[in-house]
Amino acid sequence: MIKYLMLLTLLSLMAALTFGAANITPSQLFNCLFAQCDSQINTMIVWQIRLPRVLVGFVAGASLACAGAILQNITRNPLADPYLFGIVAGAGLGATIASIGFNEQLTIALPLAAFLGALFAVIIVFALANIMQKIEQLLLAGVAISFMLSAITQFMLYTSEPLAANRVLFWLMGSLARVEMQHFYLISLVMIIALIIIMAFHRQIDALALGDETASTLGVNVTKLRLLMLAICAALTAVIVAYCGGIAFIGLMIPHIVRQLVGSNTVRLLAGSVFLGGSFLIWVDVIARSAINNLELPIGIITSVIGSLFFLFVMFKGSRYEQ
Amino acid sequence: MLLTVKGLAWSIKQKAQPKRILSPLSFTLKQGEIVGIIGPNGAGKTSLLRCISQQISHYQGEILFQNKNMKQLGKQYLAQHIAVVSQLNDTVFNLSVYDVVRMGLTPHKNLFSIDTKADKQAITEALIKTDLHLLAQQSFQSLSGGEQQRALIARALVQKAQLLILDEPTNHLDVYYQHQILQLVTRLNLTVLMTIHDLNLASHYCPRLLLLNQGKLIADNHAEKVLQPALLSRVFALPCYKLTDNHSPQDKVYFSPLSNNTIEASND
Repeated sequence: MIKYLMLLTLLSLMAALTFGAANITPSQLFNCLFAQCDSQINTMIVWQIRLPRVLVGFVAGASLACAGAILQNITRNPLADPYLFGIVAGAGLGATIASIGFNEQLTIALPLAAFLGALFAVIIVFALANIMQKIEQLLLAGVAISFMLSAITQFMLYTSEPLAANRVLFWLMGSLARVEMQHFYLISLVMIIALIIIMAFHRQIDALALGDETASTLGVNVTKLRLLMLAICAALTAVIVAYCGGIAFIGLMIPHIVRQLVGSNTVRLLAGSVFLGGSFLIWVDVIARSAINNLELPIGIITSVIGSLFFLFVMFKGSRYEQ
Repeated sequence: MLLTVKGLAWSIKQKAQPKRILSPLSFTLKQGEIVGIIGPNGAGKTSLLRCISQQISHYQGEILFQNKNMKQLGKQYLAQHIAVVSQLNDTVFNLSVYDVVRMGLTPHKNLFSIDTKADKQAITEALIKTDLHLLAQQSFQSLSGGEQQRALIARALVQKAQLLILDEPTNHLDVYYQHQILQLVTRLNLTVLMTIHDLNLASHYCPRLLLLNQGKLIADNHAEKVLQPALLSRVFALPCYKLTDNHSPQDKVYFSPLSNNTIEASND
């Protein structure tokens, strides 16, 4: 199954490059990628606009799916995802402060502030996690922090100028429109480091599936493992939220599908999440830029619509099965 | 001596008042022994196992494993030598039987080490020993209670531990699976310490029994010496009789229910 998902990713990467306002045929694209482009404009479109966008879409989708999968496994909660721990709310607060406080150099200030905001949220959840050893309390703490930070953001937007509010709102809906190749390198670096660390601890993460006490009798330091994985997921999410804005539901929906396909073993779940999460966001971005002529939709809106419909479908199927 | 428990006591705080769960108790366990812990609900059986497996660490007294104080032994070392099979709990995610059994490798592996041929062989042998080899790729959640318990025992076998601790291994199992699990446990040639509610099963499979009541060790002896009607009547607060069983070398114990009048009187 992993092989098919890998093939899906390769096909998605190639196919997505052919979509866009400019008409570039598959043979032109092939020449551009592996030989010489037939025009200067096509070189620019493929190498500076489409390729960074498709590659960032892949690594962002893969990273969000992996973060969701790991958060679900370490909390033994199928509904856990990066949004639940206040990471996106923290990034939103950071982006709001930057939008209101800095009128210039927002291209640097906004993602940086979003990253710091996400880190701030994680530090608070971390501090609470150290006090609250029970996993249910940690999840509730994440929800509480998320609401608290969102409330501060809303208050600041309510009292600020409308332009800043618009900017933050658009940013929070998620987009790959402004990504560059250097963002791909940065997100890939964070993702690779995160995956290496997670793979090193895959046995310990698997052991958590039968409960904290069972994992502990298998030699796992449960609290330390959970904090380490929470930090990794926070870094993964924060860097994506900083450059691509808020993209909901991938961390929740993709691991759910992958579990049905390959089971919950951490190694297989991660591999499946990388390929399916990456492919999914590539196609969402294709829809975002080609669904409506001359208008680019925020990708967060599309992932939310698909995600909510998907969960309604799963619940409907589940309830019919029970009958 | 494989395990030595010296003056073990444990208390918890309840409404700022200390509540004693285990009163100072001592016993030893030799290599190869199969020992059952019996007693009524709340006697401290599971707490005793949790102290021995170091899930509870703030106890008083000493627990020595191979003459080494367990508090000074690392988590990984303990996991390499002691396997714990807790009462069955629901798993949220879908793991295969093979994945669950493979968890036994965890304490023996470094961060980046992969499964060797010998590891895979050990997993296969454990699956065969527990008669689960045909179900290896099946979902753990889809197994019956007895099969799940066997998978957890297979995991303990892969762990290559010297001491196997089982908490109520026959809980929620029907009679057939109760005997199947206990027969399996006694065939493993391991040192076993288990809590068990069914006194007749305990006497059948555990040559030595520890009887706990209200956190105190009331008796530690051969099964037939511990299962004395007078002692059991006192501990379980029910009239107890011994019955001769023509099909088994062990006598059986039988508790008769209290009459309604007696219950009402005791409630008053």
